[in-house]
Amino acid sequence: MAGRLALRRPLKKAPAAFLGRIGLEIAGFGLNLESDQRGIISILKHRYGKFRAAGKSGFNLKVSVAPSRQNPFKPAIILTGSRLELGRGDFNASLDLETGAGELRAAASEQCLDAFLRSLISFLLLRYGGFMLHSAGLVKNGKAYLFLGKSGAGKSTLSKLAAAAGAEVISDEINLLRFEKGKFRACGSPFWGEMRADGRPGSWPLGGIHLLGKARANGLSACAGGEALKLLLRCLVNFDKSPRAAELTLKNASRLLAKVKFSRLEFSKADGSFLDLIK
Amino acid sequence: MKGKIKKSLAYRRIAGEVFIVDASKAEMHELNGTAALIWEGLAAGKTEKAIVAAILSEYEIEEKTARADLENFVKELGKTGLLQ
Repeated sequence: MAGRLALRRPLKKAPAAFLGRIGLEIAGFGLNLESDQRGIISILKHRYGKFRAAGKSGFNLKVSVAPSRQNPFKPAIILTGSRLELGRGDFNASLDLETGAGELRAAASEQCLDAFLRSLISFLLLRYGGFMLHSAGLVKNGKAYLFLGKSGAGKSTLSKLAAAAGAEVISDEINLLRFEKGKFRACGSPFWGEMRADGRPGSWPLGGIHLLGKARANGLSACAGGEALKLLLRCLVNFDKSPRAAELTLKNASRLLAKVKFSRLEFSKADGSFLDLIK
Repeated sequence: MKGKIKKSLAYRRIAGEVFIVDASKAEMHELNGTAALIWEGLAAGKTEKAIVAAILSEYEIEEKTARADLENFVKELGKTGLLQ
């Protein structure tokens, strides 16, 4: 019998299971995040898109969405053997520092994911001889210069003036320092303040660190080691309250003071002419 | 003299001063001169006699004064919560 043409009904497709992934590299640390919840992956892609790095080895985190709670607001860090736990009201993470495997439960918000990444990256930087610092950072002649200051010291003002004068700003709020092959390098930062820029990956040899002060006229002066250390420690971003963290802080700070030139910069907010003093 | 430094503290001599970091309280203390000398003596487990001798070798003061300085400073450390 001749074949009969049969009308086929189009097959109804079952909703595809969503499995989103994003690979990031921040300050040389690889983070691969995977989730079946679209919202959180979209936020990560939107917020840290410039720092995407597929297939970079490092941490592999399964991410799920948790309720958004304000308390406690300050992150807490506990290291037991190779198991690192980071948490605050709106996120909870558990990572194995040896295998890189871990889980993150976090509220689907940029603020929460930012807090998680700041906690993790600051912890790692300290252990790699570096720091996460409240500072403005900019690039001049291929070198990075950091400007230390707490809120109100002028980090954003200085960054905006530098950007307007054509300098590349690494971040106007939080900069990442690593110690590699006997030298300090500043790394691209996704953590910004008022300027709310995205930042970009990259790293630059550290040319110097300045203690920041606003003034009517620009001026550069020497500063004593003790004075530099005190401000450096005040500007440190660190949530790890362990004795080991304190020990590493002093060890890394001591090395930074020995290897990098510290000076005091007073700048006028009239224009970016203070850049001429940065060498 | 009862002066045993808390194990959880980190300290280091940087730029001629001793900096002590108490991470659990997010506090930093700064010591210079005699205070730094005494702190390092206590940290090294030196006896009262040895610390007084170290002070005398560094500063031109009487032994009685050095001993009193040591005693006062240890009391202060205790009040600040830096001793066990």
